[in-house]
Amino acid sequence: MSANRWQLLGFILLAAVVAAPVLVDSKFILHMVTLIFFYVAMTSAWNIPVFGGKMSLGHAAFFGIGGYTGAILYVKFGVSPWIGLVAGVAMSLLGGVIMTLPLLRLRGPFFTLASIAFAEVLRMIAIDWRSLTNGSVGLNIPFKPGWANLTFQSGLPFYFISLILAAAVVFVSYRLRHSALGFHLRASASNDEAAQALGVDTRRAHFIGLLWSSGLTGLIGVFYVFFIYVVEPNTMFSIPLFSLQPALNGIIGGIGTIWGPVIGAVIMTPLGEYLRFYLGTIQQGLNFVVYGVVLIVTVNFIPGGIVSLLARLKPSKGSNGPGSPSGAKEVR
Amino acid sequence: MALLQVKNLTKRFGGLTAVKQVSFDIQPGEIVGLIGPNGAGKTTLFNLISGILNPEDGEIILDGRPIKQLSPARRSLAGLGRTFQIVRPFTMTVLENVMVPLLARDPHMGKAREEGMQVLTLLRLDHLADAQPDSLTLAYRKRIEVARALATRPKLLMLDEVLAGLNPTEISENLPIIRQVHERGVTIFIIEHLMDALMAVSQRVLVMDQGVLIANGSPQEVTSNECVIKAYLGEETPTC
Repeated sequence: MSANRWQLLGFILLAAVVAAPVLVDSKFILHMVTLIFFYVAMTSAWNIPVFGGKMSLGHAAFFGIGGYTGAILYVKFGVSPWIGLVAGVAMSLLGGVIMTLPLLRLRGPFFTLASIAFAEVLRMIAIDWRSLTNGSVGLNIPFKPGWANLTFQSGLPFYFISLILAAAVVFVSYRLRHSALGFHLRASASNDEAAQALGVDTRRAHFIGLLWSSGLTGLIGVFYVFFIYVVEPNTMFSIPLFSLQPALNGIIGGIGTIWGPVIGAVIMTPLGEYLRFYLGTIQQGLNFVVYGVVLIVTVNFIPGGIVSLLARLKPSKGSNGPGSPSGAKEVR
Repeated sequence: MALLQVKNLTKRFGGLTAVKQVSFDIQPGEIVGLIGPNGAGKTTLFNLISGILNPEDGEIILDGRPIKQLSPARRSLAGLGRTFQIVRPFTMTVLENVMVPLLARDPHMGKAREEGMQVLTLLRLDHLADAQPDSLTLAYRKRIEVARALATRPKLLMLDEVLAGLNPTEISENLPIIRQVHERGVTIFIIEHLMDALMAVSQRVLVMDQGVLIANGSPQEVTSNECVIKAYLGEETPTC
């Protein structure tokens, strides 16, 4: 085992986050921690194709497709949110296929840029298709508490749902990275031509990686809608919130690794909320300036993210741990 | 029946014909060398056979099966292994590097790890299984390249200058490995600039010059061939 020390550190941090709402009786903290878990899940799901060097900024699309599917089925057709979860995943997988097939020909930044357009098109559709989506007003989830309706009086159920969701997505991401698919993605990110010459169908690997990612993101989207009681195009298909934020968390934590997205989300979510509250009131958009500075500093001075700093602390040589600093090198 | 048949293979880059009407066969069990001056088209020929480049004309038949339409990955699965002149190790451990091709054939992790170790042992790399290739010498990285190609269980292994850039000691360490791989029943097609080394291992040598195959025979025949001598030493008015 490598990287024991920082893994321990991570666990302590995680334990604190898990215990916080039980120890501190505060609605604000409960909401914050739930949000952190959502972002851990989202960032980890976003990070799966990044094993193969594919950085998408179109993930708001999958998030929105999932959320809208769940909400429309429930609000318009009275379908149980639990069935909505399955439908949301199915629809976002379909979205994944539609986005991925034409985009797989594109490499590096071109893939990333084209993926933004995909999310933006869906946002426009959600605004204009009024009969189904109720346009830019959106749909409200009626407040009928109960597990059957995935709606609750207290914040605790969603706290645990988001915790389980985060743990599940991190687990899936870990299993994928250490599977044949993970090896093929990492090989492709390192040198695509060499991987192909060894018999790896790299396009197929990228495709499957993106499908896992889009399906999981859609699932998170459905849960999220029932967490905030509303779907609305500018939120659900928001590129800053659900495309850029996961990418930012990932880059700052350490892209292409297992724990980088977790660490990135745990640090950046409260920081982002804090900045939005305090700096946003001074001058709108000032919080993004701070974000920008943090991002520039990270990319320039610690391109492997926080995980690579932690990995440097550990005494053992050989950086084969899930948080290997090479993870970031692979995706440059 | 020949393991590899190349017929009238032609590749043009704009006005330059890099490979011109090249035809040859490789029989199962052979070690065939490919030599020629810089820019003769040797690596281009390898890239055409392995599918990284598409030829304008010609046919490539592996084990009786035309492979010209297949992707590089499919050709690898069909039994065509290759190394790259400029080594391209993946940023993962040496063992994981070798596991990549194994996992492309069978996604079972445990089996891939086990078979990967066997390949590393064969190439005497087992003590470096957990090392990062970037931290190793060129000689080791070239050997990893061979290990990885060997893990594809190729019928035909194409080696592109696996000895170039190594010092004499390293060459004497890596050379027997090529023979050892051959003894395990792998047919080998090898590009090498180091004549002594190539002549020592090859049973047959092909010579290319300016995209054309100018000689094909035993090392003795080839080295006494007038065209070959001219290609290497030059002549004011080439007649070949």
